Amino acid sequence: MRSLRILAAMFKETISGLKRGGWSNWLVISILTIALFIFGGLLQTTMVIKSMVTSWGSQLEISAYLKDGHDPQKVARIISQLPNVQIVEIVPKEVAWAEMQHNYKVAALNNPLPNTLHIKLTNLAAVETTAEKLKTISTIEHIRYPLKVARNLNRFRQFIEIAGIVVTAALSAATLIVIGNTVHLVIQSKQREIEILSLTGVSPWYIKGPFILQGALYGTVSATLAAIFIWTLHLYIDPYVHDQLLSFLPLSNHSMDVGLLPTFIIVLILGIAVGSGGSAWTSGRYIKI
Amino acid sequence: MIRLQNVYKEYTGKPALIDVNLHIGLGEFAFLTGPSGAGKSTLMRLLYREETPNKGIVTIGGVNITRLSPRQVPLLRRRLGIVFQDFKLLPKQSVFDNVAYVLRALGVDEKDVKRRVSSALAIVGLEEEQLELPENLSGGEQQRVGIARAIVNGPPVLLADEPTGNLDPQTSMEIVQLLERISQRGTTVLISTHDVPIVNAMRKRVISLKQGQVVSDVDSGVYEIETTR
Repeated sequence: MRSLRILAAMFKETISGLKRGGWSNWLVISILTIALFIFGGLLQTTMVIKSMVTSWGSQLEISAYLKDGHDPQKVARIISQLPNVQIVEIVPKEVAWAEMQHNYKVAALNNPLPNTLHIKLTNLAAVETTAEKLKTISTIEHIRYPLKVARNLNRFRQFIEIAGIVVTAALSAATLIVIGNTVHLVIQSKQREIEILSLTGVSPWYIKGPFILQGALYGTVSATLAAIFIWTLHLYIDPYVHDQLLSFLPLSNHSMDVGLLPTFIIVLILGIAVGSGGSAWTSGRYIKI
Repeated sequence: MIRLQNVYKEYTGKPALIDVNLHIGLGEFAFLTGPSGAGKSTLMRLLYREETPNKGIVTIGGVNITRLSPRQVPLLRRRLGIVFQDFKLLPKQSVFDNVAYVLRALGVDEKDVKRRVSSALAIVGLEEEQLELPENLSGGEQQRVGIARAIVNGPPVLLADEPTGNLDPQTSMEIVQLLERISQRGTTVLISTHDVPIVNAMRKRVISLKQGQVVSDVDSGVYEIETTR
């Protein structure tokens, strides 16, 4: 009961600190919200790309685009003799063009598409060696296989991850400075209370606790706002990106379905850590007991 | 109750207290006098562990407070009441809330808070003013609030650092008499002051400091004799 009473008194002090923070509270919350929004957005993006890479990179298929004037049946027969090849599906250029015209309402032009062979393999480990063999067949103009694209996509994801960490670190540092200044102002305005409490034997944790709670509250409010913005953005752009990517890339319908909850939890933890950490550092620096 | 043994304290090479030896017993009432820079405030700060001596031992209630860890310092301070020259009241809180402030921070039950605050306000004679804000009180009344806050936790030792520094002579005398009454209830009271008329009028123990040293320690002493001798 006594601990609960102390906790309640600490909350009261926290509210009083927030009142004294005035407009600075909103400055802290705004900057922290922007930082967490960017961090959460990039985190969600990298998680979606990772899911796509995993889903797509594990597809056992190679697309081979043939040079004009060669019989796809003949090339398909040659390819089906290669080891690890399970099925070779022929997509004649006329069929591909008709489909494209139907789906995208392309203007009536001469068909620019090549005959295509979709080669399904029995073993993921054989994708690259088979691709190398296909490259040696002179009638094949170009090949594309998910594993290679997935690798490029993975490099892109790594770039976003690093950029995300750098941007988040920079914004977190800016936030720490603003939190530090705000909490410092509140500490100065409560100097008398701090002195009284300190000289009358109140525990340092009670004295510093309200400032740390104030920081944690900044983090919680900012993380909640950032989560709302991320969720809104997700609702708005997800169907669009989903449609566009699924029409171009051989992805399953579920390859982009990455839940937002883990991102929200990480954003909340980061928000509370930055908020309370900044306040703890400032109160440790300016409150001498 | 309070004992200092061979206490030496210096600030950046300049001695503030030199080889101070002192003993103040349980329930005793004493003045600590001396001109500015004599070391009165330093000695007070050593007693409530705002400072530690460079050499020597300070004990309160048998506990060597120079060896306390930072975590133990709050426990020491709960056994002390401190009265300040500038009262240190919270201007936006009522008299009652000022006195209750620390009790609430220590997690004392609200019923107990009411009982203890009422009792402390009764001792200092401010039962009627408990809902007033400090700004509506005279200087003497504000200092009484400070004293009520210092005694509300029932400390065995009360340290008053220049408690009459901001008060007129009449009010100063009332405040010191109030502190004497508190001492008669069993609390050890040490008052740091350079208020000559008060010290002379009270005829209590006077410990005089000069340039960091105890130059006299007399029961029923007076100020002038000890500092001009």
